[in-house]
Amino acid sequence: MNQILGVIVALAFQQAGGGVSGRGQLIWEGIKQPDLSKFLVIGALLFVVGVAGVLTRRNIIVIFMSVELILNAANLNFIAFARYLQDAGNPNAVAGQVFTVFIIVVAAAEAAIGLGIVIALYRNRETIFMDKIDLLKW
Amino acid sequence: MTLSGWAAVFFWVFAVAALVAALLTILARNAVHSALFLISTLVSVAALYVLLGAEFIAGVQVLVYVGGVMVLFLFVIMLVNVSAEERGRELLFNKPGQVAASAIFLALLSLGLIYAIRQGYEGLALSARDRVPPASAEQTLPPNATRVARLSQETQRVGGSLYRYAAIPFEIASVLLLVAIVGSVMLARTTKQELAADDLDPELLPELARTEPELQTEIVEVAAARAALEAPAAGRDGGGES
Repeated sequence: MNQILGVIVALAFQQAGGGVSGRGQLIWEGIKQPDLSKFLVIGALLFVVGVAGVLTRRNIIVIFMSVELILNAANLNFIAFARYLQDAGNPNAVAGQVFTVFIIVVAAAEAAIGLGIVIALYRNRETIFMDKIDLLKW
Repeated sequence: MTLSGWAAVFFWVFAVAALVAALLTILARNAVHSALFLISTLVSVAALYVLLGAEFIAGVQVLVYVGGVMVLFLFVIMLVNVSAEERGRELLFNKPGQVAASAIFLALLSLGLIYAIRQGYEGLALSARDRVPPASAEQTLPPNATRVARLSQETQRVGGSLYRYAAIPFEIASVLLLVAIVGSVMLARTTKQELAADDLDPELLPELARTEPELQTEIVEVAAARAALEAPAAGRDGGGES
């Protein structure tokens, strides 16, 4: 299987290197060997998608799911930095993973409380749309 | 820190899967579909954790998030009525002005984040260049160690520092979970359940008798029990004063 991958990578590399632009080759190297910055960019994009869900959706349950997305983006950054520090010299650098455990615990507690509030709200107001829940607004 | 070979291929597969599923999570009309796409995102992120060598966290993510939190989400979606949104009678998003402002803000946010990551990573690479590359974790293991040994050593390290350096936060987290359990039970009770536990505000009893006639017998019982409880107590208080 590694040979197949090698052929594919070689072919693609020839195509990418065919442009003979140093910058294109650099980008292709980055794609072939993703490093810490790629993980950070993926985390940032997940965060942005989560914020988009919080800001634009009306359904409060989907807003909660977007909050979970935001927390996962933070977790991904923590784990990536933990691995970076491990490779940079300290094999015992697991503080990022410990932080992630706590974030997962807090996310579970937040989801339980939040969904309890949603059920209580639905029982009283018969709606789960954020713009209809405006009792405190006027 | 670089991945190479199959790890790089799987990194791109799972990264793209996580991003696409996250986008579909916030775009899906049906809330159940949103929940299922969120499960795909969480599993893909767990796979990225495995690629980063954090197998224990990946397992916790799958067990707690996918096994616990998402089941909770699906239960709540089942309990509340979201059919109006599914059939297209309700708008999916906020007002167009709000959505446009959010889009501008998010574009600026993502550009700023990616710019900051680029700048910061260049600086990080510059500072890491002078450092002497140390022996990696695998190299410190005995030569006959298998991947299973590496896995259990990683978990051992996480558990060790969890209990050694984060013992007090650990206990605080357990108290937080207890509060969350009690709080969600308190929040999600119905009036009838509160009445059955005799935990209702006594001033609400007459109003409840007016609005929900089918609870009449329980209300009368609770009121009688309260009166029987309070009468001797009031007598004792009066006796103490005089």
